[in-house]
Amino acid sequence: MSGLRDSPLAAFTELRFRLTWRRLLGRRGVGELVAKVLGYLLMLPIGAVGAIGIGFGAYSAASGKPGMLPGGRQGDIQVTAMFFGIWQAWTAATLAMQEQESLDLRRYLIYPLRPGMLWLHGQVAGLLGDPLALFWCLLLGGGLAGAAAGRFGAWLLPLALLMVLFGAATAAWLALIQEMGARVLRRAHVKALLFSGFYVAATLVVVLVAGFNKEKPKLQDLVAIFEALQWIGWPGAMAAGAGRRLFRGDLLAALPWMVALAVATALAGWVAFRLALAAARDGGGAGGARVGQGLGGIFGRLWPGPGGALLEREVTFLARHPLPLVLTIILPAVAGLVAWKAQPYIPVEAGEVVRALPIMGVALYVHLATQGFWLNGFGWERGGARLYYLSPLRLEAVLVAKNLSVAALALGIEACSVALMVLAGGWPPAWALAGSLALHLGSAPWFFAVGNAVSILNPRVAPLSLQRSGSLPALSALAGMVTFTGVAALFALPVLLALKLDQGWLLAPAWILLGAAGGLLWWRTLPAAARLLMSRREQLLAAVTGDEA
Amino acid sequence: MLAIETHGLTRLFDGKPAVADLSLAVAEGAFYGFLGPNGAGKSTTMKLLTGLLAPTSGQASVLGHDLSDPKRALQVRRLVGVVPDGLSLFERLTGLEQLRLHGQLYGLPRVEAARRADELLTAMELTDQAGKLIGDYSHGMKKKLALAGALIHGPKLLFLDEPFEGIDAVAVSGIRRMLQQLVQGGQMTIFLTSHVLEVVERLVTHVGIIQRGQLVAQGTLEEVRGAGTLEEVFIRTIGEDVKERRLSWLDEKGAVGA
Repeated sequence: MSGLRDSPLAAFTELRFRLTWRRLLGRRGVGELVAKVLGYLLMLPIGAVGAIGIGFGAYSAASGKPGMLPGGRQGDIQVTAMFFGIWQAWTAATLAMQEQESLDLRRYLIYPLRPGMLWLHGQVAGLLGDPLALFWCLLLGGGLAGAAAGRFGAWLLPLALLMVLFGAATAAWLALIQEMGARVLRRAHVKALLFSGFYVAATLVVVLVAGFNKEKPKLQDLVAIFEALQWIGWPGAMAAGAGRRLFRGDLLAALPWMVALAVATALAGWVAFRLALAAARDGGGAGGARVGQGLGGIFGRLWPGPGGALLEREVTFLARHPLPLVLTIILPAVAGLVAWKAQPYIPVEAGEVVRALPIMGVALYVHLATQGFWLNGFGWERGGARLYYLSPLRLEAVLVAKNLSVAALALGIEACSVALMVLAGGWPPAWALAGSLALHLGSAPWFFAVGNAVSILNPRVAPLSLQRSGSLPALSALAGMVTFTGVAALFALPVLLALKLDQGWLLAPAWILLGAAGGLLWWRTLPAAARLLMSRREQLLAAVTGDEA
Repeated sequence: MLAIETHGLTRLFDGKPAVADLSLAVAEGAFYGFLGPNGAGKSTTMKLLTGLLAPTSGQASVLGHDLSDPKRALQVRRLVGVVPDGLSLFERLTGLEQLRLHGQLYGLPRVEAARRADELLTAMELTDQAGKLIGDYSHGMKKKLALAGALIHGPKLLFLDEPFEGIDAVAVSGIRRMLQQLVQGGQMTIFLTSHVLEVVERLVTHVGIIQRGQLVAQGTLEEVRGAGTLEEVFIRTIGEDVKERRLSWLDEKGAVGA
């Protein structure tokens, strides 16, 4: 017993536990702790509801109740949908969230501990510290319970093992995606282009496949697409293969799939670990390549004096961060696809206002997509943030430069998105184009006014690449959700009026008025935000520079 | 005239004093070495004097401007250059961009800031690295760049927190000469913290020693040093005996690695 307690691994576990615990109980950790506890509390009822749904499908598949489709196809569909649904939701959620518990392997390589054990420890700790992991466990548990209710017997043991293997496989696959993403996106924008191209191509394939049949797609058509797509995350696809055979009662046929799943999981985990280790030993650096001047200089000349220098710095930073480039490629591409494939499904009799809603939606969505930059505006400053307090700057100018640079980025994405929507779906009425622009520009100051306060009150160091993609602390993300909902609701009021009167031209003037009010709010709150920035300098510097004074 | 003057300057963290009742007097044109053991309050004092921290109580004035007056804050910052602990560099800028933008933030026209940036990069032997991102610089290169940034607007008072830490001996020698020339030419007052007492002793004209947040010695180098060396005075002043300390397990044969 004492051997285990004295082992280096036990010391490492204690070290990480203490670091996490102190971070959560520290000055800046309380908000995260509250968000985490709320996350667990929220996941229980939501997970229970999801588990009932999954359980019902598993019950139906296991009990072999007569379905709509012949030859056990109905059960296959339910099992595939269960594994595909959990796999894609797990993947999407994990890739979108910040991994606070993720292990920085570099810090621990100096100790005489096996790197593989450290990495595995990091993965397990990451799962335990993630409220969503509870949600996935509840879903899988629901599937197992439903299967037990449908057909109780010894086959539940391999099914339980399959569920555990599926969880491990998805976690290993995610680790592999993250390590590959980190490796690819750490380096240059060319790689970001590749990433975006892959994403857009995958979306295009889905849209094209779904769009072959002009009629309403049938359930089995969608499942066929899922069955093809699941091989993108190959370990999970093997789980579905084994699951289908287990639910049919063919244990022997399921065994090779389970063995393949175990091998695939181990392989995915091993490759992810090797990539993580190589990155850690590489120092995680970008190699010291020379970089070009970029757009910053052009913007810097537009505003004379220190303000221009601030704006140039902000634009240069955005131009060198891979996320703006990825957003500039992905959002317009998706908007174009929506205009091409989804918009024609809106019936003419729904009215012009309803038919123009996609182009309006894009105008607002761009702000949501770029929220990391306006809700955590100081997250990328590192030591540079000290310069704001050391140099003779008016802090209002710092905020204005940040807001203007993000506004320019968002406007660029909006313009590209609208252009592609017009190319793909044809010209909308002129009032719809004007409305989209008015909505985009008019809502921006509302977001930035709130974003400035959130950025100052809850700053957090954000990654300089897309790895571990999140750039927002939990509370800021929550504030962003509330802000976006509130602003969307406010700007939806004119839509209700326009729908009632079927007069789309009302939208642009109404949104210009709301935008003017937002602009006034933003302008009037700037001095207060600057004062807040000054009075919170110690907390902000401690948060973004790691300098605890 | 005093370049820095504080009276009863105090800063508490969680009720505990990091700097307590500090009264400093740094004459204009002085090269002031601010010494103290680890955790004595040197960096906190520098942050208080540069506005990165707010004092809990007491007064501080820099170049004749009261730091508690927010209207004077911008004026003071224009006259001061700072190399803070942890530096103030943007990792996603190149060295050249950092210096030029730094200069512009201090009010220099773009062309003049670019000219001075080039000159400073040459002086710091960073010309070859000018086009690389700062995130890829070594620690010593970052230090030199931060020092260049602090000089670009021609400040009257320079705050340097451990400026020689992590810089090679050749570069230290060059920077030391540059700083001495600036002070001797009457262009600048320098307030410096450092643990390298030999370097401090060769550089400074005045010394202050802080321990547990309180100033325990202050004066010209000669007054503080007396007949001994600065290291002897430093150790004597902070009350630490230089005892020979041995580690029990390293005395035993074959103990290494056990």
